[in-house]
Amino acid sequence: MFRHRTSFSGGIKLAMPDRIAADAVVRQMPFAPLLRLPLRQHAGAAAVAVVRAGEEVLRGQLLARAEDETAVPLHAPATGRVVRIGEQSDGAGGTVGVIELAPLPGDTQEQARERTFDADRLDADELLAAIREAGIIGLGGERGPTHQRLQRARKRGVAVLVINGIEGEPGFTRVPALLARHGSDVISGARFLGKVLGSQDAVLAVEKPDANSASAMLADSENHDRPVLAVLRPRYPQGAAELLVRTLARRPVEGIPAFNAEKAMVFSLATVAEIGRLLSHGLTMTDQLITLAGDGLRDTGNYRVPLGTPVGFALAQAGAHSELDRVLDGGPMRGHALGHLDRPITKGATGFVAMVANEQASLPEPMACIRCGECVAACPLQLHPAELGLLARRGEIQAMVEDWHLERCFECGCCAYVCPSHIPLVQMFRAAKKQSRRAKALAAGEEPA
Amino acid sequence: MTSPTCRLRLSTSPHLHAGAAVPQWMLHSVIALLPVTLFAVAVFGLAALATITVAILACLLAERACAAPSALDDGSAMLTGLLLGLSLPPALPLWMVAVGGFVAVAIGKHLFGGLGGPVFHPALVGRVILQAAFPTAMAQAWVTPLAPGRVSELPATSLAQPFMSPTAPYDGLSGATPLTATKAGEAGAPTADLWLGIVAGSVGETSAVLLLLGGVYLAIRRMIDWRIPVALLGTVAALSALLHGLDAERHPEVWTALGSGGLMLGAWFFATDPGISPTTRRGAWIYGLAIGALVVVMRQFSGHVEGVMYALLLGSALTPHIDRWTRPRPLPKGVER
Ligand code: SF4
Ligand code: SF4
Repeated sequence: MFRHRTSFSGGIKLAMPDRIAADAVVRQMPFAPLLRLPLRQHAGAAAVAVVRAGEEVLRGQLLARAEDETAVPLHAPATGRVVRIGEQSDGAGGTVGVIELAPLPGDTQEQARERTFDADRLDADELLAAIREAGIIGLGGERGPTHQRLQRARKRGVAVLVINGIEGEPGFTRVPALLARHGSDVISGARFLGKVLGSQDAVLAVEKPDANSASAMLADSENHDRPVLAVLRPRYPQGAAELLVRTLARRPVEGIPAFNAEKAMVFSLATVAEIGRLLSHGLTMTDQLITLAGDGLRDTGNYRVPLGTPVGFALAQAGAHSELDRVLDGGPMRGHALGHLDRPITKGATGFVAMVANEQASLPEPMACIRCGECVAACPLQLHPAELGLLARRGEIQAMVEDWHLERCFECGCCAYVCPSHIPLVQMFRAAKKQSRRAKALAAGEEPA
Repeated sequence: MTSPTCRLRLSTSPHLHAGAAVPQWMLHSVIALLPVTLFAVAVFGLAALATITVAILACLLAERACAAPSALDDGSAMLTGLLLGLSLPPALPLWMVAVGGFVAVAIGKHLFGGLGGPVFHPALVGRVILQAAFPTAMAQAWVTPLAPGRVSELPATSLAQPFMSPTAPYDGLSGATPLTATKAGEAGAPTADLWLGIVAGSVGETSAVLLLLGGVYLAIRRMIDWRIPVALLGTVAALSALLHGLDAERHPEVWTALGSGGLMLGAWFFATDPGISPTTRRGAWIYGLAIGALVVVMRQFSGHVEGVMYALLLGSALTPHIDRWTRPRPLPKGVER
């Protein structure tokens, strides 16, 4: 069971601390005075508000309904009063509707159950509908509506359910927390998903530091159709679904026949646990398990945070240093820096890193590329970051796209992480992608986004 | 409790870095070369010390003349100077050393676009130009190892002025270095002396053991790609064994081949320079193999006993082609997830 596999070529060894018991602790975040809930918290269409300003709502009650297959409903994260329904910037030049909710003082975090059913008895279609009604979206890298993904997968036919229990970012500890606290939810979530997909086999992939808690969790389960454990050698960015499936498909996991990568579907551990948790109890998605990390916080760790909580409020609760230098939405490898802290925490959030200013915080000036090839060896997709970087500096975007596969780059950051000349490779690639999309849109006669 | 203050800095991911840096790489290379440098000074005395110092100073001067002052920070000019000094005969007139150093950086490096630009190793460019300009001096400025008085006085040739008669008396040993001897069918230096470095030769080329140690140190610290020296030395060993087996009279045995001349210096410190070696791992194997084969061919079949230098130059000329042949192929697109 504990076979370690070499996974993919490239990637980097990040200093991922071995998990300690304290990492499995989850603290409850109190309600902020005002929760702000965007009507679209995922890729897809916005939900449509069904409440009016001034109305009182119960925690768990429907606030906005999904009118479209690409939308998910939104539920009240607290019992309180709707104070405003309005618009806010969506950060990409447009606006998105938002509901502002003031929790009642003394709210208990107990959720009103709108739905009563016995999830174990539902058939595949009913489960799919229940997943949709609970407002579930992907909680890993993919933040689309889960029901929509499942529908697509059903058309395609999926043989193996892959549960991605790989901690993607250094310092994040959602995996140990889910394994320790939500083991039964993971198992039932996997079962529900298996039923929806009509797949027989499920694999839970974790990296070495989490192997013990994962096998303990599986051993605790009384179910015999529990997932099979696959333990991988820690390596970033192994959690990328594409790489993970490739790895698992290449060398069969014990108990599961080798599978064709196309016949697998990856769900993050958080999504699976959430599906199990919500469906088993007829609950709706009203909060989010996130990691708060970084040297700017006193109480780093995992928190269950009501949706709509402002990032600043959450950080303050975790004992934020009064002078933060940077706050990242996401982890240090792929997260992006926030410009302000009143942004609400939404469904797709995985964690935040708060950093104080220190010498390590800023990299030295980039130097010339010395063609050392470190970035080439590190790229998990076997692109050629050095060449791409050279072209980016010369502004040859077209060559980047056409000859060097710029669009394949998924911005994992490995190349920039290793570059001894401190060349901001990913940053350059991101900018180049934007430019190339713009150029394409212009060529197609569309207004550039 | 209020929100933390918001004067947040906007930077883009990744927000972590492995920590390796170019100046650090230069520094470790210098550290790796330190033992052999000290040893050279012990064996060849003042002459070696003067050669190294002048080479470094000349390189720094050229860097200063060609680049913004901050460019000195990366340490590459100093490393170039050290490597050049180590690859020259100890009693070479110091003014020639200075010319070599200046040329190495000014032409070998900056004419090709500065750091990261050069196609050939700058120190090697310096050396090859000296070889072309002053063949006699380069072939004769050897010094007898462990000569008495080596720490108190410089060889007369070191202090030779420019435009002096080319027949200026070269001191110490003029004539055969161990490899020339073997090729001529004479008995060369004992292999053990060769490895320890108690033989006449270029300043830093003598002690194969110390060079090997320094190289391994760099490889362990992951400052260089170990594939290059392994492929290079492996090829030299294999081909030498073959040739020696065929004709033991004319071809040295493996240990002699490995321990002599600039091979260790070239394999660990010149060939591995990131700028002139291929960017892929597969490329590194091919490159090492090619240089190794060239070394043996040049040493044994051409007029140049010291084939390492030319093999390295040819090898780096191949690099762009190797890069093209071994261009990484992106993973095929996965299925929609
Ligand atoms: S950021 Fe892009 S180019 Fe760089 S290593 Fe990752 S996938 Fe490769
Ligand atoms: S890691 Fe940096 S210096 Fe090295 S080849 Fe890549 S871009 Fe150039």
